[in-house]
Amino acid sequence: MNKANKKELGVGIFFAVLSIFYIAESRNVSTFTPFGNRGLDSQSIPAMIGWLSIALSAILIVSTILKDRKERKGSVEQQEQICDPDQVACIDPPKGAKLQGILQVVPLKLMLSLLFLFFYFLFYQRIGFILSSIFYLLSQSFLLTEKGKRKKWALFIILFSIGVSVLIYFIFTRYFTLFLPRGILG
Amino acid sequence: MFGMLLEGFGAVFTDPLSIIMIFIGTTVGIVFGALPGLTTVAGLSMFLPITYAMSSGTGLSMLTAIYIGGMSGGLISAILLNIPGTPSSIATCFDGSPMAKNGQAGRALGLAVFASLIGTAISLLVMVVLSPTLANLTIKFGPWEYFSVTVFALTLISSLTGKSIVKGLLSALFGMMFATVGLSPIDSAKRFTFGSLQLTSGFNLLAVLVGLYAISEVLSTAGSEQQKAQVREYKMRGLGFTLKDIKGQGINFVRSSLIGLGIGILPGIGGSTSNIIAYSVAKTSSKHPEKFGTGIPDGIIASEASNNASIGGAMIPLLTLGIPGDGATAILLGGFMLHGMQPGPLLFQSNGATVYQIFASMILSMIVMALVMYLGMRVIVKILKVPANILLPLIVVLCAIGAYALNNRVFDMWGLILFGVIGLAMSKAGIPAPPFILGFILESAFETNLRRGLEYSNGNFLEVFTRPISATFLVLAIVSLAATLYKQYKPKKATSEE
Repeated sequence: MNKANKKELGVGIFFAVLSIFYIAESRNVSTFTPFGNRGLDSQSIPAMIGWLSIALSAILIVSTILKDRKERKGSVEQQEQICDPDQVACIDPPKGAKLQGILQVVPLKLMLSLLFLFFYFLFYQRIGFILSSIFYLLSQSFLLTEKGKRKKWALFIILFSIGVSVLIYFIFTRYFTLFLPRGILG
Repeated sequence: MFGMLLEGFGAVFTDPLSIIMIFIGTTVGIVFGALPGLTTVAGLSMFLPITYAMSSGTGLSMLTAIYIGGMSGGLISAILLNIPGTPSSIATCFDGSPMAKNGQAGRALGLAVFASLIGTAISLLVMVVLSPTLANLTIKFGPWEYFSVTVFALTLISSLTGKSIVKGLLSALFGMMFATVGLSPIDSAKRFTFGSLQLTSGFNLLAVLVGLYAISEVLSTAGSEQQKAQVREYKMRGLGFTLKDIKGQGINFVRSSLIGLGIGILPGIGGSTSNIIAYSVAKTSSKHPEKFGTGIPDGIIASEASNNASIGGAMIPLLTLGIPGDGATAILLGGFMLHGMQPGPLLFQSNGATVYQIFASMILSMIVMALVMYLGMRVIVKILKVPANILLPLIVVLCAIGAYALNNRVFDMWGLILFGVIGLAMSKAGIPAPPFILGFILESAFETNLRRGLEYSNGNFLEVFTRPISATFLVLAIVSLAATLYKQYKPKKATSEE
């Protein structure tokens, strides 16, 4: 199965599993029909959404499998003319190829960005807006700066992170009357 | 109507803060539109929390100003970098960039700004005239009419966005699933809360929007390799173009604007589609189609007039039915709700003065947009050089403030990560995001009206077909689905026959 079809199949399976879970969970929803059930209750729409999703996932899965079979049939016919399976040598993938493959799908910068975001929100209320924002801006800006240029940018990024965090805090709390957590600085 | 509009202008001009915010909003929008990788939606998400403390009229004026500026800003990078700042300016590259390459960047910029101005003016005029009339019509809608309009909007957006209708519909249902978390409409039963008190109030619309559009955009840019493009030099005197350039372009201006307006009204497909369609129509109806793509004014005018005209178009269903036309109007819907206003047929009755203030401010934003673009182009071009490593983290910090300030709880911030990751995964899997957003927004209206309709008709669903408006919308929904299925099946058949 080629990459595009694998992706389509993955999408179909994901939605099918999600829909099954969703329908199962919708049965736990309490219903309230004091005047008799003349229409739908609180379970009905989730059930409708779930069943429709299952039907559409099934269509996606089946159509992808059929499409793949059709494509394979065509490619096998072509391969039969140009390739002798006995003469094909098996070559081990180079070292680190698996990790490279994962990083191609989910780049390291993306994973680290998510991690920084997670810690930023985790400590947002605990250590306060100013400190958590300084740490976040510092780490994320350094991460996005090209490796060779980090030294050149260091001073600017540090001053920018501190200055912007303090400035935003004062502008928002003083002039826009929003509440932002003070944390350990409060 | 025009008396109310004059009162709206009065409200804008007697409030200096409002004028300042319109100026700031338009400029911010232009900058966000001009920077490749950043969109108007990101700008709106970032500046939404700033409007919390403002009056509803001033806050919403600022947001609509960002919308107008953002739609226009994309032309700068399209012409000077050959990279569309937003998807709405893709077709501007086709003739704008070759014209700039021929040493006429100033002429291309001048023409594009003028076309944007005309497109916006035509669409705003139609919006001001048509919205109150449509609102008067929709006020007579009952549950069946609302139900069928939501079904029509959901099927249309699912069929028109993305390559696969099945994935489009799955995306809409996925959004509806998230909308069912919390208390059910009508009988307030707890659904999918898993014992969590926080989940009882459901996911906040703003957290969903900002996560799906802004955070996923930042994550996606962080995950991709940044490419630096060379900004082309330009010289612009006066308006940048001569009368000769626009002579005989009247039909092109009006036709492209009407295309943009019509497409803008349809949910989910705004300026990003209209600019390409208007460009194609201009090319096919031109006496010299072979010159398109070599740097002629016709192509620039078609693209820019149409994408800006979709602004007024997208605002019409938002104001009259509460259905957003694109991502930016979805954020605007969140903005309206945050300021205690519910877009829909009653909006003109309950908040008429504020609505006309917004209309007036949009007209003013349009003029400010042209002035800022003509007079401040040099500064905006300099901002194009601001690196992403500084800008992206700042956007996240401001979006986080917006999410936190909703209810002063970190739970809504976790929503940003959740929907940011969902948005990124959906874009990687080729699942369109607009149906998800519309599904999330419209689920409540869909469920409430279907249940109410069935209760009124003693469980008889067929009553939906006995009412002309609801029957029409349901038939339109079926036709749009059938047409898309036919369109997707037709090329396969053609290739299999070959």
